[in-house]
Parts: sequence; structure tokens; C-alpha cells
Amino acid sequence: MSTGVYICHCGLNIASVLDIEELVRFAEGLPNVAVARELQFSCSDVGQETIKEDIKEGKVDRVVVAACSPRLHEPTFRCVLQDAGLNPYLLEMANIREQCSWVHMEEPALATEKAKDLIRMAVAKAELLSPLEGELMPVSRNVLVIGGGVAGISAALELANAGLHVFLVERRPTIGGYMALLTDVFPTNDCSICVLAPKMTEVYNHPLITLYTYSEILNIDGSVGNFTVSGVRRARFVDAAKCKGCINDCAGACPVEVPNEYDFGIGKRKAIYMAIPQAVPLVACIDPQACIGCGLCEEACPADAVDYEQREMAFKFDVGAIIVATGWQPFDASRKEEYGFGRYRDVISSLQVERMLNAAGPTGGEIVRPSTGEIARSVSFLQCVGSRDATVGNLYCSRICCMASLKNAQLIKEKYPEMAISIHYIDMRAGGEGYEEFYQRAQRLGIEFIRGRVAEIEETDGEIYLHYEDTLLGEYRRRKCDMAVLSIGLEPDSGAEVVGNLLGLARRTDRFFEIAHPKMRPVEAHIDGVFIAGCASGPKEIQVSIAQGGAAASKALGLLMKGEISLDPTVAYVDRDACVGCKLCEGICPGKAISVNGTAFVDEAACKGCGTCAAACPTDAIHMRLFSDEQILAQVRAATAVKGEYPFIVAFLCNWCSYAGADLAGTSRIQYPTNARIIRVMCAGRVDPSFVMEALRLGADGVLIAGCRLGECHYVVGNDQALQRVKVLKGVLEKIGLSPGRVKIIWCAASEGEIFARELEAFVEELKELGPTGTEIPQARGG
Amino acid sequence: MSNRSDVLKLAGDELRCCIQCGSCSASCSTADLMDKSIRELVRLVLNDRCEEALDSRSIWLCTSCLLCTVRCPRGIRPKSLVAALRHIHEAEGRRNADSSLEDLFMGQVKDTGRVSEFYLSALYALHNPKATVQIMTMGLELIPKGKIDGEKSRILGIEELSRIFEGLEES
Repeated sequence: MSTGVYICHCGLNIASVLDIEELVRFAEGLPNVAVARELQFSCSDVGQETIKEDIKEGKVDRVVVAACSPRLHEPTFRCVLQDAGLNPYLLEMANIREQCSWVHMEEPALATEKAKDLIRMAVAKAELLSPLEGELMPVSRNVLVIGGGVAGISAALELANAGLHVFLVERRPTIGGYMALLTDVFPTNDCSICVLAPKMTEVYNHPLITLYTYSEILNIDGSVGNFTVSGVRRARFVDAAKCKGCINDCAGACPVEVPNEYDFGIGKRKAIYMAIPQAVPLVACIDPQACIGCGLCEEACPADAVDYEQREMAFKFDVGAIIVATGWQPFDASRKEEYGFGRYRDVISSLQVERMLNAAGPTGGEIVRPSTGEIARSVSFLQCVGSRDATVGNLYCSRICCMASLKNAQLIKEKYPEMAISIHYIDMRAGGEGYEEFYQRAQRLGIEFIRGRVAEIEETDGEIYLHYEDTLLGEYRRRKCDMAVLSIGLEPDSGAEVVGNLLGLARRTDRFFEIAHPKMRPVEAHIDGVFIAGCASGPKEIQVSIAQGGAAASKALGLLMKGEISLDPTVAYVDRDACVGCKLCEGICPGKAISVNGTAFVDEAACKGCGTCAAACPTDAIHMRLFSDEQILAQVRAATAVKGEYPFIVAFLCNWCSYAGADLAGTSRIQYPTNARIIRVMCAGRVDPSFVMEALRLGADGVLIAGCRLGECHYVVGNDQALQRVKVLKGVLEKIGLSPGRVKIIWCAASEGEIFARELEAFVEELKELGPTGTEIPQARGG
Repeated sequence: MSNRSDVLKLAGDELRCCIQCGSCSASCSTADLMDKSIRELVRLVLNDRCEEALDSRSIWLCTSCLLCTVRCPRGIRPKSLVAALRHIHEAEGRRNADSSLEDLFMGQVKDTGRVSEFYLSALYALHNPKATVQIMTMGLELIPKGKIDGEKSRILGIEELSRIFEGLEES
């Protein structure tokens, strides 16, 4: 084995602080180092050529570049190795710029000593590197879209139009979701079904879309590129091939009437029904709970389509990616007992008023007061029912209700100019293109806006009264109205829980599915190959759901278009002989990449290489192909070989946040003490307690572990797991007589270079208080 | 008795677009003397509680500086609301201490083309004896400084001014 060490001047960025000649001499003396050179700019063409020549001439088969942060140029030098015919993973970088010359500008001698340690650590790790190949894996070019609401429809059409085959699975008998049930939609007041129905039909007729309505997904196996999906299509008891969708014959004959869930309970439907007149597919459906089996519909059907013997049908298919568009469900307004929903007839929900306003709805578009059956003379809208309300566990704003009430109030006012309409709000939220103008339009129409949440609704002698404070006048009011409309919030669909569990999707505290990054990755799940669109990840307007459907489709398209994906080789693997099948790893893997069947198995396509499983494994049966235990321990040993400073700190920094934060301290020239030797790991959760113990055993005075801020881990909960381990470790240290203060865990975002520097400074001071490692053990002091 | 629509007819229908942000009240130079802020007056009118708005002395304390109107983010003219309320107040034959000052003030302008602090104060004190002490205290300070003189002079061209007033009353 022959390692080449290349020490970069980076112009004067490194060379003005560090003694480069001294470092070259030092590197030459390290074991297995065949070549040590200084380069003016290692990343320049000249620098790259020098490295390539050494490789091509067979002088070196491992490369250490002591230069800037690997977060900047690791990809560059990996390409250099690859171009020269060496496996790109046989590279290690020593970060002597961001971690040395830029942060210890006033301490050139100590900085040079630290740089020597960093180079020694890199050489030690380089010796243990092994060539890795990112395998190419063929993938299925089919996509599963779960949920046939407007987000799912948009995703399915985008994908199918691009040439991928789509399986669209919908739980209800028709696609269209809630949008198909709304009357007009803001901010343009177009008729909802008129703009949606053509899309629904397009889905039905598209040759590349296989539609499963009235269906449930029962199982999903596999990982990115190769998921196997199985489920059932429930029996409609109507032959879809024969049904003509005329519905009046069969439903006209049916003697059973039940409340219509598609009218949210204000209308009635028969036991044989069509969810909406524009249903896709246009096939009737018999509700087995309501049907009495009288056979009248069978007799009435001119097409002979009714089939009481129909059975549910199982389906199974393979897909490469999955789009979760499971949508939302309305907040149950009866939970707010003070509003009397379900007890007072004239208190209705915003969805019920949508149906009332719908010309095809149960009242034919009239605003009818339920208690009298007459047109209401006054209507009050109550905002934030089930939203922004800790008493029902929904702290979030449902985002669409202000606009929906503005829209419904306008529609009512236009139809009945004499009707008194008030909107009772906490904050009026109209953020969106044309929304504020829409709000102003409602004001101009003479709709009354009253700031103050309605505290309760009282019913006396068949009349309802609202109790509220007009917070703008500071007065308490009791106001009579004919009808109160509760603007109910959006909650995650409870039926989506099954899908979430099958896929291992994370949930936020608001119970909606969590996306991979709240800002930068809006439609990606934490699981590779799974995307989330629409209200499944939180309340959204129609246009945003459509945009997300398109975005998720393009993500899936990018993933599957080539027909194969290249797997990252820096993953975990299991030593089956050592594995005892305890399933600890299965539970903690944030990517659901590990399954245990006797022994553990890592799905390399799903593994993201965080290494928290390797740190947790009680028998050390899980290994990492890169950042292996051996490599990290070699770095620890190399770091502590000299210990030229006191206190001496070994630090483990997670790649995504704290290592980047330390880099930022460098680029911002924030100065901090020279005492720490930093080891990069993918996640704070990778830090095995044995690494910490080894560092302390070898004489480090303290060990620092730094991760992303809690709740911001790139592997969801890796930093939480690190915190748990540190807590346990502190107990162990105390038992063996060492101060628990020798191990410190901190949180530092990529933007927090200053915090990293100050935390390190503080740790140095704390360790000075504690004294050199071991002095707290009485025997060591000779006492 | 006037209602919301009467006021809106005079003040402008855009008043409905008020979002109660308070820019008007916070801009008002006499706000701290008012019993109801301009924002509250808008609120009361929109709530169809015009009586309370008309009874407020705030409408007589407006100096017509128009800051409320230039600053309103919704393009409402709160000053027009004040003007509308004053107009209705007058048209309905209401009177109170604050409105009488307005009458006296305008009466003098019509008569002489300018305002004499001395006569205005004296007449107001007669109409509103409760205010006498306050007026006297301030007046006694001003007299030695030569800020108040007892002369009651007419501007030149008072006839033209009268024609302006006549024109205004016709329109």
C-alpha cells in the first residue's frame, strides 16, 4: 500500500498560517506514505494533473489531500481518482483550511501541530479505505399514486403524459376527492366540478393509467425502484362493464334511504347510488350496510348490471416510485361542544354549506335554514373551528378556511343581497395571488367582518345566538342569526395511517406526513422513492395541491426515467454470523432499510448510510462500507498519538449540520481554540460509545459530539439517538470514576459557525476546570 | 335618524373595505383628545351604530389635516367619514358643545373672512360657560404677549367670499 499526501497552499489561504514545508516533511515520515507533495492549488488543473500522474505511474494507490473541507472538493478529487483509474472511494481529505489556517490565524505553531494530527488521522483512515462500487439497479418505470383527489389526479396525468405507467388507487367509488364536492372555488369563483371533471375523465381514458377505485392498499414491500404493491378492489355489486351510469332506474327503485356522506349528512341517498353525478368511473355502487337485498334494483336495471354475487378482487403490481396523495378529512365540529353542532339544527359546517350552494346539491343551491326549511335571513360564519385550537390538539392554521368563507359569503350575498352575513374571525388570512383583492371584494359586497372568536352558540326558543367579543371595540355581544356556519379545519385523513405505516412515513406533531425538509424538499418523503403531494403533508389550496402533484410527478420521473438508478455504496451491511436478530436496528433505522428475519438484512437501495444502526448494534454485527468502525477508530488513535495540547479534545461532527457549521466558522474566520481534532461522521447517531471510550482511554481530555439541532436531523432522529447514548455514556463514566463532563453533546446548524466556536471555547474551559483526564480518579492521583 | 347606508353614501362605499389596522387613529394629531378613535368611528358606522358615532365629540376635534386619509392602506378616506358625520349632525339639527364651536367659527369666517381669537373665545364661553375657566386661563397668558387683540376687522373683498359661500350652499 502506498499513500500519496498532497498538501495544498490554497494560495496564501493555508500557507500564510501553516508551515507547509514542515507538514510535507512530517507527511513523508508517516507509515505507508510513498509520496508527499505541496501544491499551490490542488484543485487547479495543474494540481489535479500532479495527482493523476502519480496514480498513473503507479506511485500511489491511496490519496490524501490536505486542503479545504471535503464538503467543498471531495467530489472534485474523487473525479481525479476516477479519471486516473483509481477507485474514487480511496480518497481521504484533511481539512487544514476551514479547521486550521482560517480559524487559528494567530496561532501558527499550534495550528501546524494540529494540521499534522489531521494529516496523520487522514493517512490512518486512508490505509483502511476499500474500493466501493455504486451498483446500477434496474428499476420499474411504473408509479403508484395513492389517492384520487386533485393532487393525485394531477400527479397521475403528468406521469402518464410523460410516458410512465401509473396505478392510481382511490378508496372511494369515484375519484375527484373533496374538490369534486365543492361548489365554486376561490379566488376566481369557477365551478369546481366544471374545471375538475375533464381531468377526471382524462384519467379514466388515459391508456397509461390503471385506475383502481373503491380499493384499499394492503401491503407495500421493497424499496426505491422496486416496490411491490398489493391490495383489493372492494365489491360494488354492480358490474362495471355493464353499468351505463343511468342511476335513476336502479336508485329510483331502491326503497332504502340513508344520509348521503357526499352531502355531509344534509341530503339523502339510496342504498344503490352514485357518489356524484360526474363520478369516474360512472358506475353505480351498492352500499352493503344499507342494502336490504330486496332485488328491486336488479329488476329495474335495463343493462342487467346488478350483481349481488360480486366478490372483492385482489390486485398486485410492481412500481418504482410512490406518490402519497392521501389528502385530508374535515374536523369533526361536534367536538367543539360549545357550538352545538349536531344538537342545534341551524348550526352547520362549511362543507354542508358548500353542498347547499351546489346547484346539484340537496337544496338545489338554496341556503335553507334546516330548522324551518325556509331561506335563511342571516348567516354567520365562524372561523377557526378546529384550527389554531389547542383544546382539540390542532395548533395549526388550516389555511383555506378564510378564503373558503369569503367565497361562500360572496356567493350567498350575490344570490340573496338582502341577507345579513357576518364573518367572525381571529385573523383574516388571504395570502395568495388575487386573495387580498378577493377579501376586499367581499367587504365591498357588504359582508360584515367581526374580529373576535365566537365563544359559544346558544339556542333559545329555536333561535340561535352567538356570544363573542368585538375585540376591535372591546365590547361583548350577543347576536342572533338564522344559521351559523362553522368553518371546520382540515385534519390528516385517518385512512392514510395504513399507508403511512406500510411505507414508514414520519409524521409531524400536527399528524400530517412529514416532508424531507420543511423548505427545501417540499414533496419528498424521508423514504427514497416516496413523494408526498397535496394535503397529505398539510392543509393546502387546490392550486398548491395541483402544483405539488406536478412536482411529485417530476421527481418520480427524474428518478425512474433512465430505467436504472445508481446506488450509493456508502451503506450499511450485516455480518450475519454476528447478528443475533435482536431487531434493535430495525426499530431505529430512519429509512426503514433494515428488516430482520432471523438475522438483519439491509436493503442497500433504501439505506442512506447514517450509521446509527452500526452504533446501536449490541454485537457489532452491522458495518459501514465507508466511515467504518475500524476507520473511525484508526482516526481516534492517530488523533491521540501525540496529544500536543492540553486540554486535548476529540470531536465527532455530523456531516450535514455541525461539520458544515465548523466550515462556516472557517469561511467566516471565526477564531477558536486549537484543542480539538475533528472526525467527520455522517450523523451524530453514528458515534458508537466505543469511539468515545477509546478516545478517553488513549488520553483525550474530552470528547465533543455535535449534531444537527434537535428536530432538524437529516436522518430524522439520529441526533436524538446520539443524545440518548451520551446520557447513558455519562452514567458509565461516572461509574468508572471519570467525570461525566468529559463528554459533551452540542447542536449546531450549518449556519451556526459562531455557536460551534463558542461551544468549543466553553468546552475547553470546562475541561481545564476538570484537569487532565484521569485526575479525578483517586488512584491516579496516588490517593 | 341616519343609518349605515346614509353615512356610506356621503363617506364613500369603500369604507366597507376597512381592515381596522389603526393607521388613521395613530396618525391623528388630536387622537388623544378624542373619546372614540377614528378607527372606532369606522367600526361603529359599519356596525350600523351611527348614533354612537354622531354623539362622539371626536368628529368635532378633527383638524382636517388629512393624514388619516393619505396613509390609509385601503384607500379609504376617514376624513370623509368625519365630514359625513358632521354634515348629518347638522342636517338633523343636533347641537352640542363641540358642534357649537364649529358653528361660531364658520359664522365668523362668513362675516369677516377671518377668525378673531378674542371674539371666538368670548362667544364660545357664552355658549358653553363650563369652558370659561379653561379659556380664560389660556387667554390671560396670551394677552400680554400680544397674541390676542380685541379688534374685529373684515378682509377686503368680503363680497367675493360671500359669493363663494353662496356657491357652496347651492352645490
